[in-house]
Amino acid sequence: MDIQTLTLALGDSTHAGRRFDVMPITGDEPVLQVTVSGAEETPVYLTVTDTQILCLAYLFDEQELNPERLNELHENMLRLSVPMPLSSLGKTGDHYVVYGALSPTSGAAEIMQELVTLAENAIDLLQTFEDYLA
Amino acid sequence: MRSILNKLLTAMRGGVNELGEAVVDGQGNRILEQELRDSEQELKQAKQELAALMAESASLARQIRSEQDNASKREQDARKAIAAGQEDLAREVAERIVGHERRAVELTQTRELLQQRIAGLKERVQRAEKQLADYRRELQVVKTNERVLRTTAQIDTNINSQKSSLNTAKETLERIRERQAREEDRQTASATLEKELTGADLDEKLKAAGIDGEQDAIDNVLARLKDNPAQ
Repeated sequence: MDIQTLTLALGDSTHAGRRFDVMPITGDEPVLQVTVSGAEETPVYLTVTDTQILCLAYLFDEQELNPERLNELHENMLRLSVPMPLSSLGKTGDHYVVYGALSPTSGAAEIMQELVTLAENAIDLLQTFEDYLA
Repeated sequence: MRSILNKLLTAMRGGVNELGEAVVDGQGNRILEQELRDSEQELKQAKQELAALMAESASLARQIRSEQDNASKREQDARKAIAAGQEDLAREVAERIVGHERRAVELTQTRELLQQRIAGLKERVQRAEKQLADYRRELQVVKTNERVLRTTAQIDTNINSQKSSLNTAKETLERIRERQAREEDRQTASATLEKELTGADLDEKLKAAGIDGEQDAIDNVLARLKDNPAQ
């Protein structure tokens, strides 16, 4: 599944009652910004490599967090990462992210499922961890 | 693999994973890729060598069998010569038998040495295959890490150029709450509309005012029954 095929597939599909608004992010890497209807606030970014399709949504940046409660937050993030469906929690640069990786052979249905789940999980996680914001 | 992971972690903690400061830089990547190619080359050579040695070993086994077959055939000849009283001929055949047996022993020794080399080479192939898998995994980690860093940098640049600033988590949460409130309002509105359409709302108002059609009907029936108790 490459970025072009995926852009076309997402553009006129619905999955579990959701629509997808797809926008390519300009730059050297093939990156799509996908907005899932009903979860527009947390766009999912998708990139395709040789070995995986990586989908990620931003939660918060390190400087937005209450530094005194950082350990507690990390502990809770690690614990929640395991049961979260199709998503893991992680950090890249200063960004805390929720992400999922799929096999490059995944079909459109699996990718759409991942996108919907990830966008919804991002909202749930933001609301769950709101108390840890500074 | 562990050394690569440690390198990544050290670099990330030092905060050098900004764009243009890739943790394991292009140079490091090229070294890994070169190691990968060297390993692949070594594996290919070792496999070719192994195939050649195994073919040689099979050929030796054939020669050994042939010498042994010839020796046993000649043994029958020698017995016949002895039975016929041809002592000289029997001796000549016995010399041949000794030749066959000696060659068989020599070939067997050569083949045993070859088998040892084959075993060693098989071990080398296995080691190279494991090494190759390790390099591939390491390279995958390094490349994925770089890709994620470049991708997030690209996303940040884009978001920054579109809006005055990147949305903060608090702003996002505010927008989520607004949407959730809108959805709730919509649900309430549609529930109200449904009640109006079915007349359920009017029934509720009548009931609230103490006017209950259902209760009235029951009361009427009871009153009727009480008026005519004999029937």
